[in-house]
Amino acid sequence: MRRVRARRAVSPRRTGAASLAVGGVLAGAVVATALLSLVWTPYPPEAVDTGAALLPPGGEHLLGTDRFGRDVLSRIMAGARVTLQAGVSAVVIAAAAGVPLGVAAAMAPPWLSRLVLRANDLVLAFPALLLCIMLSAVYGGSTLTAMAAIGIATVPLFARLARAAALPVLTSEYAAAARAAGRGRVAVAVRHVLPNIADVLIVQASVAFAIAILAEAALSYLGLGTQPPTPSWGRMLQEAQGLLSSAPLLSLWPGLAVAVAVLGFNLVGDGLRDLLDAGGVREG
Amino acid sequence: MRALEPPRPHGLATTARALAAGTAAVLLVSGCGAPDDGGGADQVRVGLVAEPASLDFTSNDGAAIPQAMLSNVYEGLVELDAEGEIRPLLAEEYERSEDGRTYTFRLRDGVRFSDGAEFTAEDAAFSIERVKEEWTIGLADQMDVVEEATATDAHTLEVVLERPSNGWLYAMTTRIGAMFSRTGVDRLATDPVGTGPYTLDTWERGDRLVLRRNPDYWGEAPQVPTVVFRYFQDPGAMNRTMLAGGLDVIANMQEPEELGSFTADGGFRVVEGTTHGEVVLAMNNDEPPLDDVRVRRAVRHAIDREALLETAWAGHGTLIGSMVPPLDPWYEDLTGVHPYDPDRARDLVEEAGAEGETLRLRVPNLPYAVNSAQVVQSDVEKTGMDVEIESLEFPARWLEEVHGAGDYDMSIIAHVEPRDLHLFADPDYYFHYGGEKFADLVEEADRGSPQEQADKTREAARVLSEDAAADWLFLMPNLTVAREGLAGLPRDQVGEAFTAKTLHWEEEG
Repeated sequence: MRRVRARRAVSPRRTGAASLAVGGVLAGAVVATALLSLVWTPYPPEAVDTGAALLPPGGEHLLGTDRFGRDVLSRIMAGARVTLQAGVSAVVIAAAAGVPLGVAAAMAPPWLSRLVLRANDLVLAFPALLLCIMLSAVYGGSTLTAMAAIGIATVPLFARLARAAALPVLTSEYAAAARAAGRGRVAVAVRHVLPNIADVLIVQASVAFAIAILAEAALSYLGLGTQPPTPSWGRMLQEAQGLLSSAPLLSLWPGLAVAVAVLGFNLVGDGLRDLLDAGGVREG
Repeated sequence: MRALEPPRPHGLATTARALAAGTAAVLLVSGCGAPDDGGGADQVRVGLVAEPASLDFTSNDGAAIPQAMLSNVYEGLVELDAEGEIRPLLAEEYERSEDGRTYTFRLRDGVRFSDGAEFTAEDAAFSIERVKEEWTIGLADQMDVVEEATATDAHTLEVVLERPSNGWLYAMTTRIGAMFSRTGVDRLATDPVGTGPYTLDTWERGDRLVLRRNPDYWGEAPQVPTVVFRYFQDPGAMNRTMLAGGLDVIANMQEPEELGSFTADGGFRVVEGTTHGEVVLAMNNDEPPLDDVRVRRAVRHAIDREALLETAWAGHGTLIGSMVPPLDPWYEDLTGVHPYDPDRARDLVEEAGAEGETLRLRVPNLPYAVNSAQVVQSDVEKTGMDVEIESLEFPARWLEEVHGAGDYDMSIIAHVEPRDLHLFADPDYYFHYGGEKFADLVEEADRGSPQEQADKTREAARVLSEDAAADWLFLMPNLTVAREGLAGLPRDQVGEAFTAKTLHWEEEG
């Protein structure tokens, strides 16, 4: 859809810029909220006040209070922090393990390369969320396990992409020249391969970030991620679920927050891809 | 009910003379009838959570099996009436010998199993022996006290106990006492054979269990020909099905916040009764700092249980002060033993030098437990101790780590087993409470006369509360939602079964 429109009227660069701008604003809002929550929230996000439970939005509590009398706005703000932490750590774990693995697979002898790829397929064949649930169930639910689990589940994505992107670089003349000049494999990988596949990886990272946010929310919703009383959007959704008919707005706020964050980072990814790919061959 | 089934209880009960629960309010709302889409007077559709994995409660734990099978398909020699008193069922009458060790049951004539075989004393003796020999669930050890069960003639059964035990007869009203046919125990998991007013019609796994009226029932025929148990994974989905007219009764409401949707104008009525489900804040009596009675008392003083009940279960339920609910005849109000008093709590923590200690509150991931945990955390942290919540997958992980291995400082779970005070008497049980005075009282109560049983049990409950062996957050209510016109529902949940034989539709006026 987007591709067709891009061909007819607007250049990919223009749509890319627009996506990036909108995505940047949304994602930026999430980041800014998280940073602000470090120094200020209207109320302490974990302060229980059973006397002020389930207040409607407005008045002293802009978005109302939950069943424990905790301020929903403060919890949404602090929840942004957990969300970003989860996203960043998952992407860092996935990239730190996946990229070297992929590049190594591209440069290794065929049998080793095949071994890495099959191992990769094995992890990939498992639905990512199921893998997260398994790990959380075994090692206990916490923000940390959720992050590690999401990170591990995302490793194959980075590995495959890094390998696919590294292969053409390795057959390029400058890489061959570097090899001929006597540079070692590691040096070639660091000096020539990585800089040339960085753009693809950045796009992948922003998309993986969005997926990780969603996964953290899902795990916390299932009670396997962030533990109470730490605010997490997924857990807030879970706690609101039982009150769906008596206090429906309680489900709306965290749902909206997840939607904004995921949309924001996805748009950033889309925008970056369009901008970086604009001159080259587009996939799909 | 989604709650814990303690694996090794030795029922501590007997000749029950239950008081009507004074604290439980009955909420009867009347209104005009609603259209019953798909329903009808010839059936009752019951909504339940947690489908049984098998129909065989001799080898599978899980409250869902006796809930559907007991008193409907299977019957025992004795049963509990709506007030929780023991009365004869398949036995016409029974006698207890002077020394309390021998029970003689005179069995009813003309009782037949659903496979056509006649019910005799031989079957009764077979059923009792089978619990000791074949049953694999933990509860089966309640039958260990039986020395011998013999059929003295076709309709007389004599049971000799190793020692007098008030708990045994009470246990005979539960699944342990179900009577099986000697020729009908081959396919218990799918083809139950009992003497009950209903027989199994169909079982569509993952959806419903259909019971049909037993045409050869020995007693008064039940009024409703077909009873459908519908199982839901998600309590929310069950509520919506009820609202849409797909159910006639929700046996045990799991989302009390949503009770407001079931109004009289919509054709519903809500009945609030009480249960045996004590929501216990377990404390590890073995590990510092909770091995210090001052710290345990501090925890009890710290918690505002009224606010907690409001938050965790929308205010429905009863506050109790020990492991005995008002359904038991020896109930005593012990809520005043360690009342909510945050200043006293702080002083006790300081006195015990426990400031800054961290308590690991490891709870099952059930809504009432996680909700309660957050109030407990907030309250207890005001005493100067830290509380860390960890919610564990239920049942497997919680059962293994907390209930089994005792790896916890505090936990929260509903103990639904009736008369389970004696759980605290076992120092190896996960509370690790080793009060000797308490254990002696419990044993004396089990051996003694009915009067001694009541006195000793009452005293034991008080000792337990004064020692702050645990905190009792609240007693689960029995919240039943029924379509207007459906009558015969019990108000309280006194036993394990959902009894269908008393249900009937009232004539439309």
